[in-house]
Amino acid sequence: MRLLRWEAMCASVAFLLTLIFILVPGPYPMAIFTFIAQPLFAIVAVGYLLKVRADLRKRGL
Amino acid sequence: MNISYLQVVMVLGTLMCVLGVILCIRTARTRFDVEPARKEVNIGIAHVPAMLFARLVALVALIVLPAGAVFLANYHVFEGVHEVRGCASCHVMLPMVNDMKDPASGTLAARHYKNRWIAEDQCYHCHSDYGLGGSLEAKMTGFRHLARYTTRTYHEPIDARVRFDNKNCFNCHEGTPRFEAVQSHATAHAKLVANEMICLNCHGQAHPTSVQRTPGSSDYARLMEAFK
Repeated sequence: MRLLRWEAMCASVAFLLTLIFILVPGPYPMAIFTFIAQPLFAIVAVGYLLKVRADLRKRGL
Repeated sequence: MNISYLQVVMVLGTLMCVLGVILCIRTARTRFDVEPARKEVNIGIAHVPAMLFARLVALVALIVLPAGAVFLANYHVFEGVHEVRGCASCHVMLPMVNDMKDPASGTLAARHYKNRWIAEDQCYHCHSDYGLGGSLEAKMTGFRHLARYTTRTYHEPIDARVRFDNKNCFNCHEGTPRFEAVQSHATAHAKLVANEMICLNCHGQAHPTSVQRTPGSSDYARLMEAFK
């Protein structure tokens, strides 16, 4: 597996946005969580799984 | 000690998000293609190879903790819509909430509120389709409302595009002696169940009219002021 730098940075941003919504609930934090943080987590998961898949293929697994 | 769902979500959510950020920073600084200097890591109950530990940290940081945080935050979204203050946090809803709390108002919502027919979470009891157990259509509508409110792509007075589901009324009223005693309920039952006829046809306005909620109208300022 290579570097997971951009995935980790995107996940950090998504965690911070989620934390804001959890601590200060309101329409704007809710929208930021729903329309930015959640898709960001999904993109991170896809990026991570693609790298794991590529790594497993390289090892012939 | 009485612990509310909100406190649990706040504590667990904060822990998950803070831990997630810490593990993400660690993952971002890890080179998975280079063998680490330390061969093993002590995790308390066992010694594991350092590279395996780094991969486990990445899995937790990028999959496990995000899944937990998303679950908690979504739970927060769907539980938050139960509370009246959750509805009142969008200013376009203030006319409905303030009117409901006005003892002088005769709207259906105000009558339910002042007579304590619904003890708490009054908005949600009549609009329960927005909650976790509601329909997908209602949730999509909720997300559309959220997007339009936060991007300010709406016009006052707001109008509901979805048809009110009589099931929300039936949840409490259907089968009660007072409901059954009214002959027209039996006559119109099939139409009411099919939502071809709405309860408001006979039982009056649920909230202030769109004319009253129009900015500049004589009632607008009164409806926008928080009712104590």
